[in-house]
Amino acid sequence: MQWVQLGYLLPLIIVGAGAIMLMLLSPLEKVSMERFSLFTFLILLSALSADFYYFGELFTSFPMQEIFSKMLIVDSYSVYFDAIILSGALVTSLIGTHYFQEKRHFKKEFFSLFLFSVFGMMLLVHANELLTAFIALEIASLALYVMIGFQKIHDKRVEASYQYLVLGSISGAFFLLGSAFIYAGLGTTILGDMGKTLDALMGKDVSLIIIGGTFVLVTFLFKISAFPFQNWTIDVYDGSPLPVTAFMAATFKVAIFGFVLRLMLIDLDPIRDIWDTLFIVVILATLLYGTFLAIIQESLKRMLAASSIVHTGYLLIAFVSIGYAGESASSSIIYYLVAYFLSAMGAFGLISYIAADEHIRVTYEDFRGFAHVHPYMAAMLSIFMLSLAGIPSTIGFVGKFYIFTGAIEAGYTFLAVCGIIATFISIYYYFKLIALMYFYPACESEWDDVPSLRGITPITIGFIAIAVIWGGIGNTFIAYFPGVDFLIESARLSYMSLFIK
Amino acid sequence: MSIGILSIIIFLPMVTAFLLMLIPLPSRPTRNVAFGVSLAIFALALYIYTHFELTGALQFKEFYPWIKSYGISYSLGIDGFSLIILMLIATLIPSAYLLLWKNERSKSYWINMLFIQSGISGTLFSLDLFLFYFFWEAMLLPVFMIIGLFGSGNRVFSTLKITIYTIMGSLFMFVSILYLGVAHYYEFGLWSFALSDLVNITSIARDQKILLFFGFMLAFAIKIPLFPFHSWLLQTYSNSPTGGVFLLSSIMAKLGVYALVRFMIPLFPDLFVEFSLYFVALGIFGLVYFGIAAISQMNIKKMFAYSSASHLGFITAGVFALNVQGMMGSAFLIVAHAIATGGLFLLVGVMERHLGIRSISGLGGIATKAPWFTLYFAIMLFCTVGIPGTNGFVAELLIVLGIFHYNPYLGVLSALTVLVAASYMFWVFQKAILVKSDNNVSHMKDLSRHEIVGLFPLAFLILAMGVYPDLFLYKIEPTLQHYLLDILHVGVH
Repeated sequence: MQWVQLGYLLPLIIVGAGAIMLMLLSPLEKVSMERFSLFTFLILLSALSADFYYFGELFTSFPMQEIFSKMLIVDSYSVYFDAIILSGALVTSLIGTHYFQEKRHFKKEFFSLFLFSVFGMMLLVHANELLTAFIALEIASLALYVMIGFQKIHDKRVEASYQYLVLGSISGAFFLLGSAFIYAGLGTTILGDMGKTLDALMGKDVSLIIIGGTFVLVTFLFKISAFPFQNWTIDVYDGSPLPVTAFMAATFKVAIFGFVLRLMLIDLDPIRDIWDTLFIVVILATLLYGTFLAIIQESLKRMLAASSIVHTGYLLIAFVSIGYAGESASSSIIYYLVAYFLSAMGAFGLISYIAADEHIRVTYEDFRGFAHVHPYMAAMLSIFMLSLAGIPSTIGFVGKFYIFTGAIEAGYTFLAVCGIIATFISIYYYFKLIALMYFYPACESEWDDVPSLRGITPITIGFIAIAVIWGGIGNTFIAYFPGVDFLIESARLSYMSLFIK
Repeated sequence: MSIGILSIIIFLPMVTAFLLMLIPLPSRPTRNVAFGVSLAIFALALYIYTHFELTGALQFKEFYPWIKSYGISYSLGIDGFSLIILMLIATLIPSAYLLLWKNERSKSYWINMLFIQSGISGTLFSLDLFLFYFFWEAMLLPVFMIIGLFGSGNRVFSTLKITIYTIMGSLFMFVSILYLGVAHYYEFGLWSFALSDLVNITSIARDQKILLFFGFMLAFAIKIPLFPFHSWLLQTYSNSPTGGVFLLSSIMAKLGVYALVRFMIPLFPDLFVEFSLYFVALGIFGLVYFGIAAISQMNIKKMFAYSSASHLGFITAGVFALNVQGMMGSAFLIVAHAIATGGLFLLVGVMERHLGIRSISGLGGIATKAPWFTLYFAIMLFCTVGIPGTNGFVAELLIVLGIFHYNPYLGVLSALTVLVAASYMFWVFQKAILVKSDNNVSHMKDLSRHEIVGLFPLAFLILAMGVYPDLFLYKIEPTLQHYLLDILHVGVH
């Protein structure tokens, strides 16, 4: 037994064991909700620090090969994605603190489920085999289904949960079917081996693999809510408790991309061109439809949900570009995921903080004059909107820069222009909020029940706001402090580790 | 790492603004601090002016790597052309503060003014296209805030309109910049967005190059604004607060022309020459079109808005005339017009404060109530019209000469159309200021001491540059020669 290699899996083990531990603890009356919140935080933190041990190293390995064969992989790539997922979970748990305390219906099991879904997501980026990936996907999804519907007295929650459950299961079935086709065509479901077999098959009939790959991509497109599988997004995001929405929008997408990038870059590489036209159509439709949906929304939460579809469109632009500009495009996806994750997390988190009590305040009009009463919160919300819109000096801008550069490098200037057009329309729905917050006088009385800036949640959001700005300005002024360059370099390193033979 | 003087000019206002945001100061001290900062920058600019060497080369360079993996750097520098705009900004902004001294009571007004100043300086000094775009777009946010917070009328709508309109233009420029960066990477194997590197690209096919050219042009044409990209102009100018209009018309519009010279000439020299005829014609058309539009306006602010656009058309025509007279004239008119229009908008702001917003027919007889006001108004107005003895005259003469050399027919046309400005400007002067009418203007007060002091440098410059233009021309000539001879390869005739 190679016990040493257990170290590689340590973050995964910590989260998994932590989830089980919290589940076992949950019937105990003595342990309070606050304790659970703290435990979750500590578990995630220790997993993150275990993960950081390998951060920045270029390596790849199959730990415990006797037991797992090649089902699990640990490389710089998975370490990087783990770091993003764990930070996402960490931030969610910090931001959620206030929300979970306010809303009494959250039970202790929630935290266990939360950790299980994090575990599933981490497992997904470690998965080196299609069935393992499916299991990981289902672990993450099942936990999320329950987390969405946790407040069972609320119709909207139950509806969202049910909708996601049904549609998600169907898309999961596509994944299984696709895997079966691929297995029929290649005789293996192990990543790496699939690529080699496929290489040998080139020139012969590969239609089974194409069909299988398409089915797998259907699941992928569904989970990242690309056209034509976007319809669930708005209802589910809107129906979920806000911290859960933030978690889904930001973190789950990271994990999905983490796996699919691996699959596409290594294994389906020889036949990837086949899907190019399909993807271009999907991108255009996603950008167009997402933009349309975002413009017509009255509710801020629904707008953010709709705009997440547009952001999926940007990510897909980079995704098709990997065929011709592999390194730039893949690292741009990774970077953009971080950028989107920070901005969306901040935006959702702040709105959830503002609307923490039962007075639901989430439409545009509700924010009229907000800046004059709560200048700091309004400033933070503006920063997140600017970042989502991709205005310079925010991380969102740098993210867009990478994506569009990658697209042009790959020869998809046309797509970059489409992305740009979507960006400039997006100015409207993001700036509308800023305009409403700042340019109208406030009605003092309306804002009495907004919690003041105290506690962990606002501090966390404040730090995210700073990170958003920092990511956009980078390390010009303070040398040796991780900034833009550090993130993109790490992304490149993780990309390189995929190709270590 | 040492901080260069250009960086100080960029970041001093920004840092001050951030500090002021955090420190709970009332409006008045905030204003005083902001004014102090603008004076400090004037002193720094003066230092640069006196130490500037008379060559066409870039000076006061600063360079720090920023995003290394994409070869993006924080690189700054100025040449003669940016120097005069720097001097312009450094002189105009303190004056503007003095004129707005009593106008604005809100703290965030002054903070936004500081941010705008930073953005403008950053745009002016950037030698890296990524950095340039960064400031170009970031500059928009405080403008957005200042119009939205302090404007009048349908301000929220006009704010969103100008923001979306200008961002549309600059996003197309952004794609062009990225395309150039990628082309550089494919040709030389490394990433760079520095202007000095991007000019070496030879691999772009003509068709693509034309698209890139217009990608850049769109951004600048909207900002200037050139016909037909002016539809944001009227509403924005009439709904903006005085400070906003002042900055938009006398500084940011000029940055559009500046960027055109700074980036388009080195990047697309051949296309610049090839398309010059269209743009000279478009500029002259704009001169006439906006001039006629100005005549029909009854609101003084709207009239000046069109008048400003009309002059900017003329400036653009001069830039594309491809000779030293035209270009020098444009540089000169940039300064002259910025001073005069800026001054006029500030004076209109003073008038609005006393009398409220009124149409021209609702005014009259101000001269007797406010002699200082009338004097300054007259000087600015003469400059705008181009009366001999003002710098406006020198500038317009040079541009007409330049266009005449470029194409005699257009030259004659431009000489005739310069008269358009005279027609409405004198009319408004007579109607609103000089002639007595039945309208009640008893609330009009003369300029306060702050305002008299604030406008003095502007009036002085108008006359000094008009009488002794060489004082100013010799600093910029080597740069323009460099542009024409070394980059565009068109001889000086």
